[in-house]
Amino acid sequence: MNQPSKIDLLELATPYALDAVTPTERAAIETRLAAAPAPIAHAFHAEVRAVRETLAALSATTSAEPPAALRAQVLSTVVQPARRRFGWRSTLLAAAAAVAIGLGALGIGLSMRPPATPSTAEQVFTAPDVHTTTAAISTGGTATVVYSRQHHAGVLVMNNPTPPAPGTVYQMWLLDDHAPTSAGTLGRTAIRPSTTTVLPDLANSSAVAFTIEPGTGSPQPTGAVIAKLPLT
Amino acid sequence: MGTQRCECSSAVASTACAPNLSAERAARLRLVGGSTQRAGDLDGLLAGIAAGDAAAFAQFYDTTKARVFGLVTRVLRDPGYSEETTQEVYVQVWHTAARYDAREGSALAWLMTLAHRRAVDRVRAEQATARRESRYGATTVDPAADVVADAAITRDEARRVANCLGALTDAQRQAIEMAYYEGLTYPQVAHRLSTSLGTIKSRMREGLRGLRDCLGAP
Repeated sequence: MNQPSKIDLLELATPYALDAVTPTERAAIETRLAAAPAPIAHAFHAEVRAVRETLAALSATTSAEPPAALRAQVLSTVVQPARRRFGWRSTLLAAAAAVAIGLGALGIGLSMRPPATPSTAEQVFTAPDVHTTTAAISTGGTATVVYSRQHHAGVLVMNNPTPPAPGTVYQMWLLDDHAPTSAGTLGRTAIRPSTTTVLPDLANSSAVAFTIEPGTGSPQPTGAVIAKLPLT
Repeated sequence: MGTQRCECSSAVASTACAPNLSAERAARLRLVGGSTQRAGDLDGLLAGIAAGDAAAFAQFYDTTKARVFGLVTRVLRDPGYSEETTQEVYVQVWHTAARYDAREGSALAWLMTLAHRRAVDRVRAEQATARRESRYGATTVDPAADVVADAAITRDEARRVANCLGALTDAQRQAIEMAYYEGLTYPQVAHRLSTSLGTIKSRMREGLRGLRDCLGAP
């Protein structure tokens, strides 16, 4: 180890990215990297980047909600004490507005409902066989369907969709072996930065597709498909 | 062993496995995880945080808190330490967001690297192994009301990733988990498993490559 070769340095990229080295070793590796030939350093960094992206994906398996009280503690650390009274309030309001843009809005709406009969959306979200499928909408934004085969239902979430042109609507279609079945339309006024719609009966559909249709929609799709989300 | 692969079902195809979707874009869509927000949103929030925008910071916290707290808890195995460390992580985000460079990787990878480093530093400082062992699993998880849909998406994503993890050899998975979750250095892992340093390094490397291939990450 006194005469570490270039290959040794590259072999350390994975342990380094995993933080599986002591602080002393970490510093030594960084010193060697700074002096290493460009291709070696480049390869080292590429490996570290790839490992870190993989670990970021892996964090989906350890996800756990922190206690709600932690939020206030964390946010309080970044608020200027001098303007805490107003700053804090506006921070909260801004944060609330920001959260409302995302999926959070749907969840909050759900949680404030009486728990007696779970809504279709709640049933889907809590189903053991919940699945998601996401696709870009060719006219802008993304569409995600959260669905459960057990409940034959899904919830469509559109993020930042472009509203359809005046005189047209977005129409959703359930696709299977037969003719497409309309699953409803979304007009200009229905489109928001985060648009959610319940798909109460997915039956045995193999995909959800979107088209642009004239007027208030069509009995069968006539426009081009702007998004298609396969369902397993 | 080698035949077990990640399930590239059609539901995942649109984000993870479709060959016609650029790998980078697919990875970005997928890696943001736990939310239908796209990776670009986290980038934008970090830019806001760097400019001192507290609302951006709040939204960044809301979007990523379960990832951070979950990983920190997995490493520290102590609710109290985990809350403290999570708070430290976000304070560090607030102060260092300007250093984030999208060319160096995704915002989520930047954040998780920071969180893991803090957790590992803490666990090594504490050396409270016995305590960690006994406390893990006792964390009271508080399912906030506004994460129902996110949780459903996260669960689906977690299952996909777990399938990929399951496709590794036991030896590869063990080496990665001992280092990443227990905070052991690779010589410590080698010592525990009575294996050579070279073997451990290659198990870590091959395991992470397998995981990356399975996930379709860049």
